[in-house]
Amino acid sequence: MERELISKKELLDEKGISYGQLYRWKRKQLIPEEWFIRKSTFTGQETFFPKDLILARIDKIMNMKDDLSLDELADKLSPLLPAYEMRKSDLEKRNIVSSIVLQRFASEDASEIVYTFDILLYFYVVDKLLQAGEMSMEEGEHLLQTLREHFPKFETKPCDLVFIRKMGVSSFALLSVPVEMYFENGVKVVARLSMTECIEQLKGKLV
Amino acid sequence: MEYSEKPDLVINGVTTASGGDYGKVRIDGVGTVEGDIVAESFDANGMTKVRGSLATDDMDCDGMITIDGHVSAGKSLVDGLMKIKGSLKADRFTVNGMLKVKGDCEIEELRMDGGFTIDGSMNVGRLYVMLNGQGRTREIGCESIQVRRKRRTPWAALITWVLPRYAIELHTSSIEGDDIDLEHTETEVVRGNRVMIGKGCRVDLVEYRTELKVHPSAKIGKGVKIGG
Repeated sequence: MERELISKKELLDEKGISYGQLYRWKRKQLIPEEWFIRKSTFTGQETFFPKDLILARIDKIMNMKDDLSLDELADKLSPLLPAYEMRKSDLEKRNIVSSIVLQRFASEDASEIVYTFDILLYFYVVDKLLQAGEMSMEEGEHLLQTLREHFPKFETKPCDLVFIRKMGVSSFALLSVPVEMYFENGVKVVARLSMTECIEQLKGKLV
Repeated sequence: MEYSEKPDLVINGVTTASGGDYGKVRIDGVGTVEGDIVAESFDANGMTKVRGSLATDDMDCDGMITIDGHVSAGKSLVDGLMKIKGSLKADRFTVNGMLKVKGDCEIEELRMDGGFTIDGSMNVGRLYVMLNGQGRTREIGCESIQVRRKRRTPWAALITWVLPRYAIELHTSSIEGDDIDLEHTETEVVRGNRVMIGKGCRVDLVEYRTELKVHPSAKIGKGVKIGG
């Protein structure tokens, strides 16, 4: 489960950006504080980043910074749940969540019903895991319940969803990041999703 | 207008006031604010204490001010001594005197004439320092930085000679930025695009992309060009 890290210098070289830009984006909260990981190396203190997250984020900033001001960008990237709402019928039409999920978990809701962003997010996460073939329908139901019950408690704090299975028995956990976790033997970590990432992906789809 | 809806706070003499959401705040004399305060403008003269956090768009402090919490400010001018026990966030910040911050600093433009002690790290867009006292901070990240020193009086030169610890210099562990222009700075690492190491600097390692200039009196361990 160890995340691959990239040092600040490698990052700047790879993306062709300068220190000034990086610090600027950090001040504007385009890059969250908890991604700056300090480690001591033989050349002294160095800063590292989670590689997949930071590369995706920088691509996103570079793509959008021509069209949007940095402040607008910050709104778009902030982990706060945005005020997007969507009707169930639109959700189906735009294929953001597959119809199987909606049939299974939202069949009793009328098609005019308006879902808030967090409900959309729960469906999205469930759909994502189902599509990846990592989870069964029953487990999906449990997941939905877990998210409904516990996700709002994190408010704006970043959190990860962990899905583990041992001897066929599955369970879910939500944890605030950054955190290190170790399991006993025989536990299989089926999936670990960053909810912050999911929020962003979903936001990208909705806009 | 929104201005008139919020009450103003005026302190004259020796008084304690409670925190809260204010329009204009004006403190003359010895004023203490208990709790967090949000103000449209904050003007303090004399000895001021805020036992909480301060958020304001426009700040003007003369004299001594101590803030126990965090500060987030728009345009700010500080003449005198400012002590912040939390972190500092600001747009444009000008200090004539001394700034002490326990936490981190995030400022778009900082002009400093005097000295500073920042225990956290500094993330400043444009940083201009005119050293007139010691500057200490953990690390500096910026777009551009310029460090200069006021001409020393003979007395200051004598003190430096007797007690090198009190030399008027900037001490930090690393400086990273695009445009770096330093004088009288001691640091382990400087990383930047255009780097000028001026007189009186001691730097162990310089990593630059486009340009490096070193003053003959500066001491640098190693200058490395990186990138294409």
